[in-house]
Amino acid sequence: MTQRSEQADRVLDLAREEANRFGHRYLGPEHLVLGVLRDGGNGASQILEANGVNLIAARAELRRLAQRGLVPGPRPSDAELLNTLGIDLATIRRATEQAFGHKALGWAVWEATRARRGGVGRVPRTPLRDPPMLIGQVLVHAGQQARALSIGVIGPELLLLGVVKDIRTPWPRCMNNRWRRQLYASVGLPKGYRGAAGPLLGAFGVDLDQHARALLAELGVGVP
Amino acid sequence: MSEAAPGEVTQVAAATSSQDPEVGLAAVAALRGLVEVVEALQVENARAMGWSWQQIAARLGVTKQAVHHKYAGRRFSFHR
Repeated sequence: MTQRSEQADRVLDLAREEANRFGHRYLGPEHLVLGVLRDGGNGASQILEANGVNLIAARAELRRLAQRGLVPGPRPSDAELLNTLGIDLATIRRATEQAFGHKALGWAVWEATRARRGGVGRVPRTPLRDPPMLIGQVLVHAGQQARALSIGVIGPELLLLGVVKDIRTPWPRCMNNRWRRQLYASVGLPKGYRGAAGPLLGAFGVDLDQHARALLAELGVGVP
Repeated sequence: MSEAAPGEVTQVAAATSSQDPEVGLAAVAALRGLVEVVEALQVENARAMGWSWQQIAARLGVTKQAVHHKYAGRRFSFHR
């Protein structure tokens, strides 16, 4: 697997913050676009801004997508929800890790959420694990591009190229299963969600072909 | 990702008491997610300490068949 640059990791962190800001309990490609824009000083954000996509406008557009039901509206976090019952999630997490160790906790999370007969887990997810990252396909595409172009590390440009490829490629059929549908429903995603970066960039009239070419040029790959 | 919850989200949480089913039911789902993980840890720990399914079932208030059916296929060992 190709490594991510520090800047790409920062983009992911910022994307998480953006997801949080919208009260989204998952990380999707649409948040990655916001993360790239928020990071600023990278080629990917400059290309987005040249297409009229800036952070403020993109946030406003994502809010509109939430109103249209393409992404969920704001939802309280697990910690906030448990707080309404008088339970402090941080204390439980700390106590469990101290008593049984990180590895055992990881196993128990897997044991509780893994798919069983019937294709669903005992629970779709647990507050003891970070919210789901639904950017697997983006990272796969970014890695494939990195290998194809013989680039050692994945930076923000390759991440955004992964987002563009993800928009244009249908998700594999194996990703449409009961376990996944149960997980998506548990974070409030609408049926048939396949990432909302497409509608987000589409609202700005971004030409994906041209966008991909500009990103490749930024990466220094000779495209006439 | 669940730590900082600025703006809209805290408003949602503050504006809705747990009598609102939207929040109340989501809180129950979060609680269930917590219980399943802690139960798996405790059962596995008890087995590692040599407890029988019968003893574990009695503490959990279920039949030994129920707890065996649920956890017999476990794959973690505490190596105590």
